[in-house]
Amino acid sequence: MHTEPSRPHTLTNFTASLDHLRGSVLMMSSLTQRNLKNSIRGLMDRDDDWCNNSIADDEEIDLLEMQIDREGIDVMSRFQPVASDLREVISSIKIGANIERVADQAVNIARRARKINEHPEVPELHFLDELVKMAVSMFDDAVRSFAERNAHLAVELKARDKELDRLNRELTDKMIQRMQDDSANLPTYLNLIFVSRCLERIGDHAANMAEDVVFAVRAEDIRHLGK
Amino acid sequence: MSESPTSPPMLTDDFAPGEVNFMKVEDFNFFYGKKQALHGINLTIPSRKVTAFIGPSGCGKSTLLRNFNRMNELIPGTRHEGDITIHGTSIYDPSVEVIALRRRIGMVFQKSNPFPMSIYGNIVYPLRIAGERDRDVLDGAVERCLRSAALWEEVKDRLHESALSLSGGQMQRLCIARAIASRPEILLMDEPCSALDPIATAKVEELIIELRKDFTILIVTHNMHQASRVSDLTAFFYLGSLVEYDITQKIFTNPSSQQTEDYITGRFG
Amino acid sequence: MNSLTKASGNFFTQDGKGTSPLRLIRNGLLTGLCISLSLLTLLPLFSIVMLVVKNGWPLMSPALFTELPPPPGLEGGGFANAIIGTVIMVGIALLLAIPLGILAAIHITEYAPESFLSKSVRMVAKLLNGIPSIICGVFAFAAIVMTMHGFSALAGGVALSILILPTILLTSEQALLAVPGTYREASLGLGATSFQTILRVVLPDALPAIMTGVMLAVARAAGETAPVLFTALFSANWIHSIMEPTASLPVLIYNFAALPFDYQVKMAWSASLILVTVVTLTNVLAQIFFRPKHR
Repeated sequence: MHTEPSRPHTLTNFTASLDHLRGSVLMMSSLTQRNLKNSIRGLMDRDDDWCNNSIADDEEIDLLEMQIDREGIDVMSRFQPVASDLREVISSIKIGANIERVADQAVNIARRARKINEHPEVPELHFLDELVKMAVSMFDDAVRSFAERNAHLAVELKARDKELDRLNRELTDKMIQRMQDDSANLPTYLNLIFVSRCLERIGDHAANMAEDVVFAVRAEDIRHLGK
Repeated sequence: MSESPTSPPMLTDDFAPGEVNFMKVEDFNFFYGKKQALHGINLTIPSRKVTAFIGPSGCGKSTLLRNFNRMNELIPGTRHEGDITIHGTSIYDPSVEVIALRRRIGMVFQKSNPFPMSIYGNIVYPLRIAGERDRDVLDGAVERCLRSAALWEEVKDRLHESALSLSGGQMQRLCIARAIASRPEILLMDEPCSALDPIATAKVEELIIELRKDFTILIVTHNMHQASRVSDLTAFFYLGSLVEYDITQKIFTNPSSQQTEDYITGRFG
Repeated sequence: MNSLTKASGNFFTQDGKGTSPLRLIRNGLLTGLCISLSLLTLLPLFSIVMLVVKNGWPLMSPALFTELPPPPGLEGGGFANAIIGTVIMVGIALLLAIPLGILAAIHITEYAPESFLSKSVRMVAKLLNGIPSIICGVFAFAAIVMTMHGFSALAGGVALSILILPTILLTSEQALLAVPGTYREASLGLGATSFQTILRVVLPDALPAIMTGVMLAVARAAGETAPVLFTALFSANWIHSIMEPTASLPVLIYNFAALPFDYQVKMAWSASLILVTVVTLTNVLAQIFFRPKHR
């Protein structure tokens, strides 16, 4: 109903606490975006250094998830928020959990990439290009919709997730075919299937984040509709 | 000014028992001399529910409450336009005796005001002024009311001691017991907990929720969290107008009006 | 001085400012002045009591309460008729003034506080309060003695009632105003009528204060000489009806004190002692009997 809270609270430390919570979520999402990019780079450029960076930096993201939970509970117990404030706190906590899953998938991609890099390069690697582009843009848009309190953007994400699922299925089928035709590179094809799965999961989490944003902004629960 | 709804929206099966249109306020304006305190209030209050009036100081919530039992008429220079009906009958109808009206409606005030009499004397007062003399009836009423007010165990051995020897929370519960002695249909409560500590407040709130089974309760409170804990419906007033009126859960998770949102989240002023 | 005034003293004098000696001295002086002046006000009261007891005690005996006054020059006897006369006249005064005063006070505080009538009543009561007591006597003389062609205890009682009416009315008004408005509000909210509220809640709560006012009135009425002087006149005998003149303590004291006989003068002292004692006793008993029961 209202995309932006109209003015600050009379109690300034209430506004400050809410802003700090929001900041933590944004910080966590930007770190995850970076890690995801690094993992993809490590995969596409066949460079283990990027993969290792990504895996190492994941710890910071885990700590941030715990911090977000703590801050959220703190705001609820101290200020007993209602209405838009309450929805914002609850969504922030849930979005934090989703971002952490995305970060985990980035780590999984990095690990798979390292394994792929041990074997010779295959052209099928670039079958992933479209999937990668879509998953990354979905996550970026999910983060943006939270930052801008933009429910429209969030609603679109659900539709794109379906497309991502389709691309994942397509790629899996192609890889299975490849595995039958070219058994020498079977490990690589298998790992590519796993990477595709990670990207598909990232899309799911981005869609979940979108649902939480819509709840925070519009007080609508758009989960589990038309499944 | 946003549109005021005239009936509680989204009535589900929860609300079916009892009457939906038990109390109605229709196009109600109220004046203290030249100053208009209430503007065009339209409200429908169902029976056997707790309805809370919230809003900043001076918004008219207490003024409206005190009109239901025509207590505002005791203040010189007041007048009203519009109507208030209970169970279909206007409270301003010439055939309605103000005394009888006030016996059917109990009132609890912000600062508890027991009479300087014994506990027993306080509770039987409304019965005595209605002419009841039978000792057994009076004794029975005292026990019934004190039990309903969750005060019986605490005072049953000192019913003839002064009511003024009780603690603040006990005095307020005594006033509630006194208010229900003549079995009114409706209970009006004007900030009943604002002078009480948290434990006494919790006891009174628990009492309100219990009493809902038998009484229609209207409570004015400036503590929004109390409204959200205790009430089924909440009406938000501002500067003498009704801004929003809805089921409590909706008001506190997703209010329709920006003003309501600003008030309950503490962004007012 | 003590360590509090040293500049380097303690936590409370860190800013170097202790309490200046001048301020303390001034405080002590004023306190002392208040105490001593209060004691000073007790002085006249004690002096009077001492004097009356000292002079009135010697002749104290049961005979004073049972016998008639002796003829001038002779000894013995008492002033029983004066005591009875005072009691009767004060009684008549209370009978007239209490209902009038209290009911009027109820009207001006509860029913119509802002009406022209109430405002007028208040103003008149305040004016009457300061009226010289002899004027009350003159009025009763004209109204009753002259119309009934005779002095009487009734006239005396009426004169006294006019004297004490303003006191009772005004103190009752104050007593009623002192009752918290929340009691009235609670009572009316429970569906009581104004009458029930006044009868069951307001009056009982105001009663101790009203009774104080009544006791003040009694003390005044019992001791005033002028109004009684030419309405009830005097009598050396027992009273048989209120239409007769009667003796009264103030007039007896007035008469006997002026006589050249030592015995009668001493009787006057005893009468004064009895008057003072009775008034004090009434006061104390009223305070005990009408004390607030639930506070």
